[in-house]
Amino acid sequence: MDLSFSTEDNEFRDEVRTWLKANAPTGRRPKESHAMREFDLAWQRTMHAAGWGGVAWPVDYGGRDLPLTQQLIWYEEYARTGLAPIDSRFVGLAHAGPTLMLRSSEEQKQFHLPKILGGEVIWCQGFSEPEAGSDLASLRTRAVVDGDELVVTGQKIWTSFAAVSDWQELLVRTDPDAPKHKGITWVICDMRSPGIDIRPIRTIEGGADFNEVFYDEVRIPLANVVGDLNDGWSVAMSTLSFERGTAFTVSQVQLASSIEALIDMARSRTSINGRAVIADGAVAERLAKARADCAALRALTYLGISKNAHSTQPGPEGSMLKLQYADLAKRVYLLGLDVIDTNALAFALDEDDSDWVDRHLMAFSTSIGGGTSEIQRNIIGERVLGLPR
Amino acid sequence: MDLLTSPDQDEIIAAAASFLNDKMSTDQSRLQFESGTTPAVSNAAWAAAAELGWFALGLPEQFGGVGFGLAEEALLFREIGRAAAPGPFVSTVLAARVAALSGAQDLADEIVAGRGVGLTVPGSLHAIGEDGSIAGEVQLLDATSGLALVLSPSVASIIDVESLGDRSRVPCVDPTVDLQRATANTLSPIAHLPASTEAVEHRAHVLIASMLTGIAEWARDAAATHAIDRVQFGKPIGVNQAIKHPCADMAVQAQLAYAQTLFAALAIDEAREDAEFQALSAHVAAAGAAEFSTSTTIQVLGGMGFTHEHDAHLYVKRAEVWRRTLGGMPTHLARLLELSGPV
Ligand SMILES: Cc1cc2nc3c(=O)[nH]c(=O)nc-3n(C[C@H](O)[C@H](O)[C@H](O)COP(=O)(O)OP(=O)(O)OC[C@H]3O[C@@H](n4cnc5c(N)ncnc54)[C@H](O)[C@@H]3O)c2cc1C
Repeated sequence: MDLSFSTEDNEFRDEVRTWLKANAPTGRRPKESHAMREFDLAWQRTMHAAGWGGVAWPVDYGGRDLPLTQQLIWYEEYARTGLAPIDSRFVGLAHAGPTLMLRSSEEQKQFHLPKILGGEVIWCQGFSEPEAGSDLASLRTRAVVDGDELVVTGQKIWTSFAAVSDWQELLVRTDPDAPKHKGITWVICDMRSPGIDIRPIRTIEGGADFNEVFYDEVRIPLANVVGDLNDGWSVAMSTLSFERGTAFTVSQVQLASSIEALIDMARSRTSINGRAVIADGAVAERLAKARADCAALRALTYLGISKNAHSTQPGPEGSMLKLQYADLAKRVYLLGLDVIDTNALAFALDEDDSDWVDRHLMAFSTSIGGGTSEIQRNIIGERVLGLPR
Repeated sequence: MDLLTSPDQDEIIAAAASFLNDKMSTDQSRLQFESGTTPAVSNAAWAAAAELGWFALGLPEQFGGVGFGLAEEALLFREIGRAAAPGPFVSTVLAARVAALSGAQDLADEIVAGRGVGLTVPGSLHAIGEDGSIAGEVQLLDATSGLALVLSPSVASIIDVESLGDRSRVPCVDPTVDLQRATANTLSPIAHLPASTEAVEHRAHVLIASMLTGIAEWARDAAATHAIDRVQFGKPIGVNQAIKHPCADMAVQAQLAYAQTLFAALAIDEAREDAEFQALSAHVAAAGAAEFSTSTTIQVLGGMGFTHEHDAHLYVKRAEVWRRTLGGMPTHLARLLELSGPV
């Protein structure tokens, strides 16, 4: 056991910090989807050109294949730039790309992976449907084989960045008679195919990245199937542990700096009774508790990474981190509104305090997206503690 | 002692609910705010509410009011909260009272007839004089027809917002609300009422608590409906205790907020010594219930809750705004401790 990083790791941290400082974009990330896409892709190309395009990607596919400790360092330093922890590059780099590495054919890899890493394309995830959210395996979007093509008809929903995507990892039902996990196929869908209709859905904070996607007899070459027909469930599940404990690092570090910022604000601002905001016992207690909880969250990240560095079997820390991060983020950003108090009434994006309102509203997604907190608790109860289902 | 509503009161509730559903639904307010109109209520709907006597419901008959108590007003405001009806209801009703009780009967008549009065929200950089004058930076909610109510522990007043400097509009978290920022050197009110004559702020606590109770009840019902209808893993999601228990907590919190709000309204109507304590307790209970219930409802709705596809986002934002309009919780809690407790 050891808390200090090696000399090599410290030098690595200096290198990363210097590079990010000199190269990370400093302007505000555009809110409009297409401008956002160009912003994200340009940043990916900058990183890729300097060898930072895929810190967790294998060298064979152009990545850096950093050891977990250095991935952690990379993410900790990345968080300091203030860039979004998750942007439109996420599905390609952290989900679809890794799935292709594990399960796709040589041709598929050679065609897609360089484009993802090189910042040429955006991928989206077409998993959730109106009737299939937590119960993903009950998805109904239908695909029938016709010659050397799949013909897809159905609907996906809550598809982030669909309107600005080039490709989609799409789950379809190819055998409606098989047990629900057995009749699903994972297929690469060209988002410009005829028959695809994308409609935006406005999110709570006013964002326009969410979409419904309708498929009306969309023809996809069978060659785009990854893994075997009807084996899509196992393909979809094969990527879940790709991040091996580093996935929340950027969010967690940014949450920690939000807490420090709130403590400073609570010290320097006065509330309507004329006293410093932090003089209120309830606010002070919530700030102190958040600070301690966030410290423990970081420690849990380190524990998870330590374990995963020594074992290929990921521990339960992933679900625990996701659950605790969501809970803490929601608490902290609600507290943020209580610190800025009546300034929380305004929601004008050019005002600094409005960032706190935006973060508060965005925080609602942390306990829903990527598997809800209730589902995480089920997983921890059943798989970690062995509780009956 | 009887906390149940009478048949007359039930009639007020039913009439209010049907009017709100007809004239001030969230579909109607969405049309307004999406076309840039705030407060997101049509002039015709606002005038119709005035016609029904809503702004004079609790005003004594000698001032041209309907003569009901705060309890009836609380029942009305609970429906307004449940419907998320836009418009400056709280401040208009209270301003009519300030005008009437301070002798400005013409102004009272004008307000009762449908001239909406906005609300001045306290900030850390403003001061309210004993005569209801105001200085410093203020925020104004729905003060689009030129008047705003000012509330402090010692006085309530009405100001002419046209006389404020540097007035500018800013988007509000609640998209149905018109929010403006302004500064005042020292602006004297056009009417004011000392708390020694009547403590208008206590009534404000109760009316806001009533709206927040209605919001909490709406959220409870929206979540329960979804928990019953939404099927995942072959069963309604409500069979899972992870969903059932928070729904039950919402039911408990809403009922507590409702009971305490009625208790507080009656305490003021009956001029009990502990009226302020009861009013603050109602505000605290209802603000907690509204915040908890609206955010929990988003969670129960899943992905849909994070979007504009369901009204839950409107309610969560509305609860956020209304639980802050009289200053944040810390102020109310500190005051609650200063007071002697219940009698
Ligand atoms: C910001 C964000 C981005 C997203 N991006 C994408 C994307 O790009 N692509 C994509 O395919 N999807 C995406 N999603 C969708 C997301 O995966 C789903 O919202 C999520 O899986 C939940 O499904 P649902 O919304 O249908 O809710 P439901 O599954 O209907 O759940 C409703 C409620 O019931 C609870 N519940 C359900 N089953 C159980 C159970 N067995 N026990 C206890 N409680 C239960 C849930 O926890 C939740 O509180 C995104 C969602 C968000 C919020």
